Amino acid sequence: MTVFISILDEVGGALLFLQKILRSLFYKKIKTHEVFEQIWKVTAESFFTTAMAGFFVGAIMTVQFALQMKEFGALGYLGGLATSGTFREVGPLLIAFMLSGKVGAFTSAELGTMRVTEQIDAVRCLGADPMQEIIAPRFLGIIISSFFLLGGGLIMSVFGGMLMGYAFAGVNFEEYLRHVPMIVSPVSILSGVIKCGAFALVLATICTFKGFTTAGGAKGVGRAVVATSVSTMICIVVVDWMTSFLGEVILQMVRGYRS
Amino acid sequence: MITLIAETMTGVFSPPFRRKEFFQQLYFVANKSLIIILFCVSFAAIVTILESSFHMKLVIQNDSMVPGFAALLILRELGAILTALLLTSRVGAGYASEVGSMQITEQVDAFKMLGIDPVNYLVVPRFLACVLGCMMLTIIANMTCIFSAIIVSQQYLGYTPSMFLASMDRFVQFQDLVFAAIKGACFGGVIPIVACYFGFRCQQGAEGVGRATTNTVVVASIAIIVIDFILSYTFSYLY
Repeated sequence: MTVFISILDEVGGALLFLQKILRSLFYKKIKTHEVFEQIWKVTAESFFTTAMAGFFVGAIMTVQFALQMKEFGALGYLGGLATSGTFREVGPLLIAFMLSGKVGAFTSAELGTMRVTEQIDAVRCLGADPMQEIIAPRFLGIIISSFFLLGGGLIMSVFGGMLMGYAFAGVNFEEYLRHVPMIVSPVSILSGVIKCGAFALVLATICTFKGFTTAGGAKGVGRAVVATSVSTMICIVVVDWMTSFLGEVILQMVRGYRS
Repeated sequence: MITLIAETMTGVFSPPFRRKEFFQQLYFVANKSLIIILFCVSFAAIVTILESSFHMKLVIQNDSMVPGFAALLILRELGAILTALLLTSRVGAGYASEVGSMQITEQVDAFKMLGIDPVNYLVVPRFLACVLGCMMLTIIANMTCIFSAIIVSQQYLGYTPSMFLASMDRFVQFQDLVFAAIKGACFGGVIPIVACYFGFRCQQGAEGVGRATTNTVVVASIAIIVIDFILSYTFSYLY
């Protein structure tokens, strides 16, 4: 029972924190310079990681789909299916996992260190709002740069899939790409982007919240980092399920409306 | 890192076997992570089956193959890799910060002074526990995945469990489960080695521990994806 109460406590705290961030985003002047710095930092630091993950994910998807498609003799659809699967589902999910390992852990460690060395209190003493000065730029930076990273990762995943389709299934590049526009609809890409945005929102909220509420010295920072990565992973999977499910429901409603 | 792998491998077979430590670590790896992993993996299975039904409808206009394909995808890829990634962020980060704190408070040097080999004492039990624990977790996660996929396909796609199992029977063989277990064992071996490597090299101060943790999660995740690719490619010649 106490476990449930403490979970509810955490969730409620995170939601209140999100409300505070949003309020400081909308009612106060955004520090544009800081935001750009954060975007640059996050993107530059994680680009190589996510691009590499994307490359291998594309290759793995292609190998798996090739094994299945071979049984039907429908290798022509290989490129379209692998690309669509990566764009809609696996790409955003894996990039969010990579981001939570790298950016999430780093941000919560940074904020946690600031908190335990009382730098956040110092900012408040100087008459500045820590939400506006420290939290909001990081929050915006993570969300905006996640889209850049998603784009890079997806492009690399198409490359990986093309190379693997050629090496493993003997599908040449043109044939691989021919069905891509047919199967990957704008809706697919949009759903991938929406998913990525939702993941980034969750990730940014949790890691700033955990970092901001760190207590208990250096050990507390370590605990905050581990708690961040575990809870972001759980929340990302749950959000993934919710977006897929809601997307399906909305699509069916739209279809019913049309017919 | 290669030295560390070699030392661990020789440590596995050389005498002071730390049985108590091993069981403690196994409890930490397998039992404490079980609920989180099962929770995440079953949600992921639900998403997989909804998505693959969408794709099948798009390409061949009906989704009668969905149960078989989804089961195949779960057994071959999803179960093992998702379990390993979750374990990385939970167990790997824990190990890195633990060993890192030991390093910066000079406990590792104290072991050396006492004539205890730190690799044998710290790395080997964790390595064995992770290999075994990750293998078991992978198998349990696969079972849970298939179970939740059966429930979802009954609720939303209208397949009865017996239809699901019959369709699964056509595509899935027992060797898929064996390969999944092998994958799980390989992923499990990666995590403690990467974590202990960064832990031993940890710089002085609290910042160093944080950096060791972050590096561990990133490097281990990438290593897992790369190894997954290599293993998938190798196994694809064995079907």
